[in-house]
Amino acid sequence: MPQQLSSKDSSLFRQVVRFYENKQYKKGIKAAEQILRKTPNHGDTQAMKALIMSNLGQQEEAFVLAKEALKNDMRSHVCWHVYGLLYRQDKNYEEAIKAYRFALKIEPESQPIQRDLALLQMQMRDYPGYIQSRSAMLQARPGIRQNWTALAIAHHLSGDLEEAEKVLTTYEETLKTPPPLSDMEHSEAVLYKNTIIAESGNLERALEHLESVGHRISDVLAVMEMKADYLLRLGRTEEADAAYTALIERNPENSVYYDALIRVKGIPKDDHKALKAVYDSWVDKNPRGDAPRRIPLDFLEGDDFKQAADTYLQRMLRKGVPSLFANIKTLYANPSKRDIVQELVEGYASGNVELQSNGSADKQANGDNKYFEASTYYFLAQHYNYHLSRDLTKATEYVDKAIELTPKSVEYLMTKARIWKHQGDLGKAAETMEQARLLDEKDRYINSKAAKYQLRNDENDKALDNMSKFTRNETVGGALGDLHEMQCVWYLTEDGESYLRQKKLALALKRFHAVYNIFDVWQEDQFDFHSFSLRKGMIRAYVDMVRWEDRLRDHPFYSRVAIDAIKTYILLHDEPDLVHGPIPASSLDDLDGAERKKALKKAKKEQLRLEKIEAEKREARKANAKSADGEVKKEDPDPLGNKLVQTQDPLKDATKFLTPLLEFNPQNFEAQSLGFEVYLRRGKFVPALKCLEAAHSIDAANPALQQQLARFKKALETLPEPLPAQVAEVVNSELEQLSSKLVKA
Amino acid sequence: MVDIVPLSSYPSYIDLLPSIQTCNITNLPENYFLKYYLYHALTWPQLSFVAVVRPKNGYAAGPGKEYPKVVGYVLAKMEEEPTDGLAHGHITSLSVMRTHRRLGIAERLMRMSQRAMAESHRANYASLHVRMSNTAALHLYRDTLGFEVEKVESKYYADGEDAYAMKMDLRSMWIDWAEIERVDKEKLRQQEKEQKKTDGDGDDDGHPDEGDEVGELGKKDADKMIRVKVGRALGVGDLVERNEAQGTS
Ligand SMILES: CC(C)(COP(=O)(O)OP(=O)(O)OC[C@H]1O[C@@H](n2cnc3c(N)ncnc32)[C@H](O)[C@@H]1OP(=O)(O)O)[C@@H](O)C(=O)NCCC(=O)NCCS
Repeated sequence: MPQQLSSKDSSLFRQVVRFYENKQYKKGIKAAEQILRKTPNHGDTQAMKALIMSNLGQQEEAFVLAKEALKNDMRSHVCWHVYGLLYRQDKNYEEAIKAYRFALKIEPESQPIQRDLALLQMQMRDYPGYIQSRSAMLQARPGIRQNWTALAIAHHLSGDLEEAEKVLTTYEETLKTPPPLSDMEHSEAVLYKNTIIAESGNLERALEHLESVGHRISDVLAVMEMKADYLLRLGRTEEADAAYTALIERNPENSVYYDALIRVKGIPKDDHKALKAVYDSWVDKNPRGDAPRRIPLDFLEGDDFKQAADTYLQRMLRKGVPSLFANIKTLYANPSKRDIVQELVEGYASGNVELQSNGSADKQANGDNKYFEASTYYFLAQHYNYHLSRDLTKATEYVDKAIELTPKSVEYLMTKARIWKHQGDLGKAAETMEQARLLDEKDRYINSKAAKYQLRNDENDKALDNMSKFTRNETVGGALGDLHEMQCVWYLTEDGESYLRQKKLALALKRFHAVYNIFDVWQEDQFDFHSFSLRKGMIRAYVDMVRWEDRLRDHPFYSRVAIDAIKTYILLHDEPDLVHGPIPASSLDDLDGAERKKALKKAKKEQLRLEKIEAEKREARKANAKSADGEVKKEDPDPLGNKLVQTQDPLKDATKFLTPLLEFNPQNFEAQSLGFEVYLRRGKFVPALKCLEAAHSIDAANPALQQQLARFKKALETLPEPLPAQVAEVVNSELEQLSSKLVKA
Repeated sequence: MVDIVPLSSYPSYIDLLPSIQTCNITNLPENYFLKYYLYHALTWPQLSFVAVVRPKNGYAAGPGKEYPKVVGYVLAKMEEEPTDGLAHGHITSLSVMRTHRRLGIAERLMRMSQRAMAESHRANYASLHVRMSNTAALHLYRDTLGFEVEKVESKYYADGEDAYAMKMDLRSMWIDWAEIERVDKEKLRQQEKEQKKTDGDGDDDGHPDEGDEVGELGKKDADKMIRVKVGRALGVGDLVERNEAQGTS
């Protein structure tokens, strides 16, 4: 039988709850302890105390106490609710949902429990559960619009578009008068309904709906985009023409609009004259824009191309637009265009300007000519540095000429650094980029570039020192700590890759795991929006966010780091001595392994030294941190990654990176190939073969496949024990298929 | 080819957020957690825009799709507690990669955002802060776009540099709400009249239930149609990350 409280203590308990809600945690604990002195086994009070402790960061102790509370009072919804909240804090959402469900069974009318449950169901994408919760919440409070919208979202995301629309319509019908134009929640809900209709495939109806409500909707651009999109897909060309024209008038810099406009005008792809005329008309209307000048270079050919390119290039070179080459290089996929561009700009460089300009480019004063000259050399330097038109000797010549004319140009030195990189001299490249940085110390872009080039040259400390010029160095862990906190993925990735090159696997893994953790944070970030977005009413954006979060790890930032990490783990598995630090691969002369032993000893010594330095730093920080703000910030217990590298099972750790990689990037050849390597080493033949098949379907001609297949067969042959009959059957039949495909290829 | 597209309206490019964050931390010293970008994208989805290099095969979705390269962005919001009581927009952050500067990207991004502030949120003006030493940005705001210096905020930036607080009036881009209401009311009256006629004729090819509702709507006068805004003035508390108070640009 659970213990009861006296009436005085009951009111004290209510105070504990209030203290918790007002975040007065210390007072809350005190009051709870006062109750517990008299009634030590009062479950609800123990639970509340545990909840407050968890908010104070004492998670482990809180769990112990919450369990005790439950033991004392299994029938208390408070105890179950708190238990759920603690699990939620621990990100163990499955257990949290279970606990909330118990709580709700005991107290079915509780709104807070229902709400907490619903939020987690959404986070876990438990749509049937979420629909149930949201229906109950709507029933309890049908007067609130949010509850209707939320139920519609639940149906929509679970795939029931019809029901979603019905819910929204039902609510709309309760509105006696149309809400005012300033009511954005209404405006967004109406537009949300329209996207649901469109998603159901009935574009006619979506368009009709949009036309009847669109003029009252605050997101004007969205309405224009949607309308144009529907019209285009419905083949209503005349209206689509008008719609896209209106869009271009608003934003002339979006090639998608021009594509659509050309399509609805029905201009054949090869009628270059007609196409060019369309773009020219937009140049006239919007002389400052780039798109209508630049796009025709994509489709024009031969002399037409030459003439248009000439005009375009000269105009941009006169303006001294540094990004000209970035905007041109995509044309080089077509070799004849590449050659024409080269011919034109080489012509400018040798003074052939007026001759080719067809009078279109206005003559400039002398001062501008110098500008033009330098820009021209700069363009050619980039041109000859580009992989499709590479001639590094010429590139160097031209960049030096450009620098001679404008020695203070950051851009020109940047290009010089890139040329060094392509010549394979990473040291010179980093040095030159550093010179460029010094020309404009206030620009973070060039600072980032300089740091990146230092990392490519494995100068990790120098790079961090550069980065520290723009970071907040008073954070825990200094500049590096700030880069972690600010989720600077590019730096962590490059730093890790540099350590991997140096075979410092501990630090490499440390960085790769840091990026992995950032993705976890990004996934967790959506949690607050499940309630926040309902309050704000921006439902379309919210639904897009939810769908994006479901495929968060298909981002190239993830695949790159996952591939790096898997490679590191494979290396660690194949050369376990690397756990102690970088050791040169054993040489053939080293017959008795003496050299290797020596190297190993040296590496171990170095590792100990680094650990000692790190420990001293930590002690020093501890002494300072406490005195500074009283609160001790959490220290990373493994800043060097030594615990990570000392894993018992590197390949198992690799699968943590591998599984999402294969799930979200199945089209990535390298991912499948690494999947094969991991599974083969783990003796998992079926998944290994699956990866090999997938790799084959992506790039059948890749030479790596033959070699991997041979290794696979060898591994099968040399098995100490034969595979279980069923597995062997699957493997053999698939292997046969793949082998025959590969032989044919 | 660089395209200017919306961040989180239609179509949505919200999956570019990690790349936008990278663009920011590559270009500017004022940085934010991804959640702060999400907060912008999900609170004012109309206001932020991205500049992307169009992928070789267009913007096809689905497995194996190529992510477009982000070369610039504008992150904008509505001021939540305007000290002057006037609804206005604020540029939280704007930057363009050095490799793509001077193409007119920043100008286009800004114009799109300003227009959306006026149209979607009836912003009276847009405000921003800029380092006094940032000549490129100052040129852009003052000469190209027409912002005016409102005041100097001393030691605005973390490193001690002063900022110009600038603003620009947006009211000329407002939508004429009165006109929309007038036309809508006119339409309703028209429908009501026709409905009455059909009701009288006893014609049954229409939708009788709808007729009633429209009839009732039409009787309401304009004053009563103005209602309290729903779901607005709710705080965001823990969503506002560090640097928020400090602002940027
Ligand atoms: C400021 C910044 C955003 C400008 O981006 P951008 O895309 O190159 O600018 P635009 O091409 O749209 O330029 C528009 C106008 O701005 C002015 N401008 C831009 N860069 C300039 C420069 N370096 N010097 C002088 N004026 C400049 C010009 O008036 C230009 O018009 P024009 O090209 O017709 O002469 C970019 O330089 C940048 O990202 N800098 C680093 C980050 C930053 O400072 N952000 C702003 C913080 S408040």
